[in-house]
Amino acid sequence: MFRYQLTINFPMLMRVVGWLLVIEAIFMLMPMVTCLIYDESDFKAFLISAGITAGTGLLMTFGIRSHHTDMGKREGFLLTALVWVVFSAFGMIPFLICRTPMSLSDAFFESMSGFTTTGASILQEIGHFSHGILLWRCLMQWIGGMGIILFTLAVVPMLNSSGGMQMFNAEVTGITHEKLRPRISQTAKSLWYMYIILTIALCGLLCFSPMSVFDSICHAFSTISTGGFSTHDDSIAAFHSTYIEIVLTVFMFLGGVNFALLIKVVTGDPKAAWKSDVFKLYIGAIAVMMVMFVISIISRGEMHGIASVTIDPLFQIVSTMTSTGYTVTNFENWGGFVLALVFLMMFFGACAGSTSGGAKLDRLIFLWENTRNEIYRCIHPNSILPVRVNGKVMSFDLVNKVIAFLCIYVMLIMVGGIVLTAFDIPLVDAFFSSFSAISNTGLGAGVTGYGGSYEIIPDAGKWILALLMLIGRLELFTVLILFTPGFWSK
Amino acid sequence: MKIIIAGAGEVGSHLAKLLSREEQDITVIDQDPGKLENLDSNYNLMTLAGSPTSFNTLREARVDQCDLFIAVTPFETSNVTSCEIAKSLGAQKTVARIDNHEYLKDEHRDFFTRMGVNHLIYPEYLAAQEIITALRRTWVRNWFELHDGEIILVGVKVRENASIVGHQLKELASQRTFHVSAIKRRHETIIPRGDDSIKANDIVYFTTTRDHVDDLLTICGKINRNVKKVMVMGGSRIAIRFANLAGDEFKIKIIDNDRDKCRKLAEKCPDAEIIYGDARDNEVLRDEGIDDVDAFVALTDSSETNILGCMTSREMGAWKTIAEVENIQFISEAEGLNIGTIINKKLLASSKIFQLLLDADSASSKCLALADAEVAEIEAKPKSKITRGPVKDLKLFRDMTIAGLIRDGHGMLVEGNTVIEPGDHVVVFCLSGAIHKVEKLFN
Repeated sequence: MFRYQLTINFPMLMRVVGWLLVIEAIFMLMPMVTCLIYDESDFKAFLISAGITAGTGLLMTFGIRSHHTDMGKREGFLLTALVWVVFSAFGMIPFLICRTPMSLSDAFFESMSGFTTTGASILQEIGHFSHGILLWRCLMQWIGGMGIILFTLAVVPMLNSSGGMQMFNAEVTGITHEKLRPRISQTAKSLWYMYIILTIALCGLLCFSPMSVFDSICHAFSTISTGGFSTHDDSIAAFHSTYIEIVLTVFMFLGGVNFALLIKVVTGDPKAAWKSDVFKLYIGAIAVMMVMFVISIISRGEMHGIASVTIDPLFQIVSTMTSTGYTVTNFENWGGFVLALVFLMMFFGACAGSTSGGAKLDRLIFLWENTRNEIYRCIHPNSILPVRVNGKVMSFDLVNKVIAFLCIYVMLIMVGGIVLTAFDIPLVDAFFSSFSAISNTGLGAGVTGYGGSYEIIPDAGKWILALLMLIGRLELFTVLILFTPGFWSK
Repeated sequence: MKIIIAGAGEVGSHLAKLLSREEQDITVIDQDPGKLENLDSNYNLMTLAGSPTSFNTLREARVDQCDLFIAVTPFETSNVTSCEIAKSLGAQKTVARIDNHEYLKDEHRDFFTRMGVNHLIYPEYLAAQEIITALRRTWVRNWFELHDGEIILVGVKVRENASIVGHQLKELASQRTFHVSAIKRRHETIIPRGDDSIKANDIVYFTTTRDHVDDLLTICGKINRNVKKVMVMGGSRIAIRFANLAGDEFKIKIIDNDRDKCRKLAEKCPDAEIIYGDARDNEVLRDEGIDDVDAFVALTDSSETNILGCMTSREMGAWKTIAEVENIQFISEAEGLNIGTIINKKLLASSKIFQLLLDADSASSKCLALADAEVAEIEAKPKSKITRGPVKDLKLFRDMTIAGLIRDGHGMLVEGNTVIEPGDHVVVFCLSGAIHKVEKLFN
């Protein structure tokens, strides 16, 4: 009953990865069918990719024997990080062998950007790509939005154990991980049902707009996952529809709410939303940002009609805060102050436990409360002031962890930016790209006026950005711990 | 099955871990979030910080939907209160851990049922019962009765003088009065096959029926020595319960090194002789006649002291030793050290609760947990794989064995040619972790 495990259970890890690859292969069939419907030659690319992925997966699952099935903390961290890399590696195969092939660095960047729902793209003219490829990009975001691990926890019974528990902790965002139900697979299932229902609702609403059914499906996938891939070069602006903007704003907003909270509200506890400090802050932050945006738009004389001071800024705010990364037409003209606010929103993102990126508003609350306490303590050094979130007192350990998280987060943005400048990327753009990648926003490099898409970044820079996206998506510790010697030594 | 456990103490967390491995839906409630942290992040269960006696907390834990509510906080009154609240909120069944022998009496059962407490668990009482069982049968290490004693499971340490030592199991099969279900050799438990043989110093787990228990005595070369004089080290609650439960069956001497405690003991255990002294001191033991006692029972709060105390007393002449070992890691070590019987309150309490689960969910449940093997009593479902032919043709897994079965209330052993019928309650031995594979055979 008590076995001390010192080394990492690699055979078991490989078997689980194998299983997950089979699942990825099944997802690949969807763009393949799309290609067949549109009569495109890329269906072969997807067929081959699915074949390779499924073949490797089955080989790993059935070819490797594991003596015991236990998985501990180390396996949980390693597996989670590994799965995201492996998924991206296999997910890029269609990009490599399609009608309009990409280079290896481009394909991996695009694929990682998809799964981490960053939405940064190296594609210049999207119209050249087949429908299959476009759908696959959006589907990757959809899978990555809720989480690859979370999906597999819901469907693979093998992981319904404490090993699965570790993986859940390593993948799901947030400071503490709220479980909805006693068994991890039940929690995963509830979250995924919610996610699927929202996706279907959004897709249905978009079908009533000028969008084609294909565009509706793609945008539904990339919006609810707050990813931000589009099927058009001009992104959402291409549709010139206020209806679409409103619908997308609502669903990006929902994508930025803690899904556990959404489920609570839907399943008979509507008041839960107003008891949640994070949700209140989320609404408040959007409102404050809205006022500042409108003021600066008007003061710069950029007000052209009613939409430019109502839905346009709101769309931009929600899109940035939830790390979706869609932009409205004349965002560049709104000025430096608006851009600075965008940085702020990118930094904190939306609620933990949602599909959004960034450091999460939950941590902002911790930071705010703790800072206030520290200042108060200057005058009253003996006072005991707890950090209170949602009316519950948080332990000092947790507060420490959050502060550490924020410090590392800022440091990584800096380090990422510094490394990128080494590849001759202008200073501001280097830091902005690094920031955009780690917060999984994926706002185009174009925002700072450095070329239209990420294609312009040198290959080495793309790999670095891809790593940053992964670190950001798995909330730092899961990936960073793999680089510490303590993780590998006994 | 939805189970809520109130109290993440030793018994509570042990149960939660075991049950979550059994694929049950577990929610653990405790007032101290620190105690829950480890459980929450490492096990497949849900935790909730809050008082188990608060209506709000229990509602939040969805007590209205739970099948079983287990209150195992250290405080008897809050256990009973939380069960009462849970029941009123809609829990199906409630179990409270108590600390008072009076509550177990039959005449008070109605009172507790009215209050909403269905079962009472008293770990110290279970431990005292276990000690008495062990003292009545000094030759066994473990003694389990299944189905009112229709099937009996016995763990015996065999020595060189036993007639079965050195024989392969297939040679022993002709006797057909017992079934060798498992062998514990050093730290490993083996599910034996026909060509495995029994070696000296193995702990052999036999399955047998009531009529054939005495045969085991002969083949193991044991004699059942009648225990009369018992020396107890440490005046813990188990010791008090044991002294009261034993009555005049044994002549009990309790040694404790706390004078006040000794005074209390003298008051509570009128039949026992109380000695004030340190049982770790050999002279005290000799003065009290250690060379003359039949059994030495170590029940202090420290597992290490108990283990070492038993070893010393054995060298000084005690025939049978019993140690209370609360650290589960130490159990396997202690078994290897020639200690007669190990008592563990946590395992006893969780075994008892497993049996309650068995009553609730009659299809299948584990009933006993050994150190690294499990014994389950599983009902064979119609058309299940296990009923498809004689046992020897079924190609069963290597890490399980079918020990016996209960058909129409009568226990019988299983041989190669036995065909299991639907509705039989089958006693299965398997190594830890194999239970899920086993259950599939029966469904």
